[in-house]
Amino acid sequence: MQRDQWGGKLGFILAAIGSAIGLGNIWRYPYVAYENGGGAFLLPYFIALVTAGIPVLILEYSLGHKYRSAAPFSYRSLSRRWEWLGWWQIGVSFVIMTYYIVIIGWVLSYVYYSFGTQWGSDPDAFFNGSYLGLTDSFWIVGGIQWKVLLTTVIVWGITYWILQRGVSRGIEVASKILIPTLVLMITIIVIRGLTLPGAAKGLNVLLTPDFGEILNPGVWVAAYGQIFFSIGVAFSIMITYSSYLPRRSDLSNSGFIVALSNTGFEFLAALGVFSVLGFLATQQNASLDEVVTQGVGLAFVAFPQIINELPGFNSLFGILFFGALLFAGLTSAVSILECGIAGVKEKFNLSRNAAVNWMCGLCALVSILYVTKGGLYYLDVIDHWMNNFGLALSGLVEVILVAWVVRQLRTLQQHINERSYVRIGNWWIFALTIITPILLGVVTAFNLYNELTGRYGEYPLSGLLIMGWGLAIGLVGLAFVFQGMRSRESTAAGVSEGEEVR
Amino acid sequence: MNVGAWIMFLIGAIGLWGGLILFIRHYFAAARAEVNAGQGSTDEG
Repeated sequence: MQRDQWGGKLGFILAAIGSAIGLGNIWRYPYVAYENGGGAFLLPYFIALVTAGIPVLILEYSLGHKYRSAAPFSYRSLSRRWEWLGWWQIGVSFVIMTYYIVIIGWVLSYVYYSFGTQWGSDPDAFFNGSYLGLTDSFWIVGGIQWKVLLTTVIVWGITYWILQRGVSRGIEVASKILIPTLVLMITIIVIRGLTLPGAAKGLNVLLTPDFGEILNPGVWVAAYGQIFFSIGVAFSIMITYSSYLPRRSDLSNSGFIVALSNTGFEFLAALGVFSVLGFLATQQNASLDEVVTQGVGLAFVAFPQIINELPGFNSLFGILFFGALLFAGLTSAVSILECGIAGVKEKFNLSRNAAVNWMCGLCALVSILYVTKGGLYYLDVIDHWMNNFGLALSGLVEVILVAWVVRQLRTLQQHINERSYVRIGNWWIFALTIITPILLGVVTAFNLYNELTGRYGEYPLSGLLIMGWGLAIGLVGLAFVFQGMRSRESTAAGVSEGEEVR
Repeated sequence: MNVGAWIMFLIGAIGLWGGLILFIRHYFAAARAEVNAGQGSTDEG
């Protein structure tokens, strides 16, 4: 079976940038920087980028490119016993996708609501009440919220259509259109934000350095966590995407471009977010601490408030902001699903259409859980556990596997340098052997300590045990089940350079 | 904006966007090198 391939390097780079730039770049980074020393956060952030983000990204590119397979078969090529790691990462990506698509559905609704600022004068009540119909407690599911279902189905339709068209005609073409448009939209938002009264107030809070914070270990954990989640490693996406590259492809330079585009974009987005938050604080005669927020609260409550306060072009600003979120989310969603599609396609020797149908169908079915009136509760808990005990932990295992168990970093370094314009030196080996495992270990230990010494949110323990710990541990078990299933060898045999090394 | 904020803005902008421009230049330099070596455009893979 002919393996899919990118039409060109630019298409691959834009698709990888599209994967890395997601909702978190717009709604998470600004708050993390604000919470962790303001401008001083840039120092640990840069160090985390160079010692963990870029090295792990280039590692994943080299794995996918050398073994020309999705994550399970790439890890299997390293060691037959480690195929499960790829299935674990695909499982985590699958679960994340089940709710990520629903959030994009919310965003699509808000693109529509931006016409005439239909959220009214109290966006908080509108979002939790009229729009989500949020139930009073965790275990009250509350039935389907039809207006959420409608836009989720539309987003599923768009995602399915892109994926069904394949790698070069679907993902690549979509990325070539959506990513430049996204950058343009964010640039317009930043320019508008910077020209609003009070923008400097917001930027002062975001950028004024508090160097005392650098001595706080929590700030370093936040910097490594942000870089790790933001660049999108350990989803197994980058392994899959690089497996579609032609043999003669520059891996290291692509890694630098993708990582710096992602971080540069979130730095730009932070300027926009904090300038408009400064404007909101000025309009409400409040301090910035009172209006600053992140995630769902920033996008669906604070931004509608900001849009309400704007002196003109309110609807247009809303369409630009939610449009940017929509495009950022869609390109990431497509990539998250693609790694699972490639995995099952190779393992079970399915056609692309069949693999897309299976993955999208199953994922869409599960995503119904989040279009219920209690959906936001489940989304919040599952997201927390998948990030902390799915991505971070599987990333740690990935690095330990390559650097310490199969010890293949030298071979991969040679593979990269043979075809890359920018050669990578021993700093890459050192970062992956020493720095990344230690820091990711500390991040995981920190997360575990927090979880064991306090309860996440105000949720019932039963909910956290089932949807948090239960799901996180269950995915590891499921990964071993997939490893134990017989492969219907075909594309797996396409692991041309992937002779098992151990 | 205050001086500290301006300095950190410049550090962030030069570090991230300057770094990006540097590696995009490498991308085009590699493309030129391949064309000169008679291997065609890098964008064809």
